[in-house]
Amino acid sequence: MKYVLLLIRNEETVLDDATRATKYAAIDEWFGELSRDGKLRGGEELQPSNTATTIRPNEGRPLVTDGPFMESKENVAGFVTIDVADLDEAIAIAKRWPYEDQIVEIRPVVDHPELSNHPV
Amino acid sequence: MQSDSTVEAMNAVFRAEVGLICGSLVRMTGDFDLAEDLVQDAVVIALQRWPVDGVPERPAAWLLQTARRRAIDRLRRDSSYREKLQLLTDGWAPDVRTDPDDRLRLIFTCCHPALARDAQVALTLRAVMGMTTSQIAHAFLVSEATMAQRIVRAKRKIVGARIPYRVPRADELPERLAEVLASLYIVFNEGYLGSGPDLATSRDLCVDALWLCGLLARMLPEEPEVLALLALMRLHESRRTTRFDASGALVLLRDQERSRWDHAAIAEAGALLEQARRLGRPGAYWLQAAIAACHAEAPTFEETDWAQILALYGALVRINPGPVVRLNRAIALEHVAGPVPAMEEIDALRADLDGYHLYWATRAELLRRFGRLDEAADADRRAIELTDNPSERALLETRLEPTDIRAIGANNN
Repeated sequence: MKYVLLLIRNEETVLDDATRATKYAAIDEWFGELSRDGKLRGGEELQPSNTATTIRPNEGRPLVTDGPFMESKENVAGFVTIDVADLDEAIAIAKRWPYEDQIVEIRPVVDHPELSNHPV
Repeated sequence: MQSDSTVEAMNAVFRAEVGLICGSLVRMTGDFDLAEDLVQDAVVIALQRWPVDGVPERPAAWLLQTARRRAIDRLRRDSSYREKLQLLTDGWAPDVRTDPDDRLRLIFTCCHPALARDAQVALTLRAVMGMTTSQIAHAFLVSEATMAQRIVRAKRKIVGARIPYRVPRADELPERLAEVLASLYIVFNEGYLGSGPDLATSRDLCVDALWLCGLLARMLPEEPEVLALLALMRLHESRRTTRFDASGALVLLRDQERSRWDHAAIAEAGALLEQARRLGRPGAYWLQAAIAACHAEAPTFEETDWAQILALYGALVRINPGPVVRLNRAIALEHVAGPVPAMEEIDALRADLDGYHLYWATRAELLRRFGRLDEAADADRRAIELTDNPSERALLETRLEPTDIRAIGANNN
């Protein structure tokens, strides 16, 4: 079963360089373990939400606006796709995400066996 | 018209059998939603038929057979479940007692932390205890449509997010067990606080909660908090009938007829607490049960060991520093150290408990000790505004009559 972990951070929190380096080493290890176990299916860190552009429906002429789709202190900062047995395994992995002060939302992925499998 | 004995006989069958049947069907089909629906259908049909035909000699076999017929009906209507339903219809060997852990798995699935607490409670009552959606809705004072929606949503999440059907590993057990116990205690409290002097409901939630907690204690005999919660429920239950007088009015702890308490149950709870204490450090349920035991074992209200109760509340505040626990501790503090330190504590809790009726009732009682009668009456009026419970309202209203100085407090009833 595939799940996407949405990694959500408070963008007002700023880390000093030493802390950041420690965190990134831990994140590297977290990804390494998932990869070795064959459970990693992809993921990216996103630039801050002030770089976001949002397209909204607008009577057939999509409107391009600056900023994320919802203004909030907390924003999606990244996502990871994992393939694991069940929700308990996804929860255990999410609990080990090295940023203890970040929110992780777990969303099961919709399986579409009827659609063709387009190569990435 | 069904007699009370038929109702109790049916409820006993549902308690004993539904969880086992449901658990084994979930294991066989791998689909919680489908299996639970089939069993629930069988329960609803039994509730129509048994009062007329009598409870069958082999009720478990009857329920299984009915669930199986429902599976065949569905198979004809709905091809999407074909494979799973085929399992149930082709050469189905309805031996539900092959895996004693089925029911335990079922309980942990219903009380999974990824489900909201009210959904955990509703699912447990339906899937494990065989209550119908309508009975659960009635017990929790919500509309049947709301309850049905809550259950459907939770079951969709179990299937959609793939919440597993398993007993948690040892390292996960404390956290997962806490979810189960919290749900069970909600069921018990709903039965205890919701019951009136002569409110005859078709299911007694206290009996159901006690039964399931007893089952958990047998399945997980090394878990001290399970034993402690069982003791806590037994202690409350031991004095349930003395909470109301002949006219149906609420009677406070200090005025209850202690000779009518169930002293055998109190002794049994004491033994459970001792057994739990040997298994591990006292947890939150152990401390609450020990406090209830202090009250239950006091020969008179005046002889209550308040110093011991205050010490136990102190330990409980360290585990669970919530404002309601601190409010109860303040009441014990008053009995040990007098009204002045108690009032300081009550004042400090005001912001947190402004919307809690027992905060205002407790405050009113304390204000009367200081002779601040006008403020006390205001606090009582605030408490009345904040409670929907008719028995509590009636008691609070008597305090506003100038001749009556009876008192109600947070841990008094």
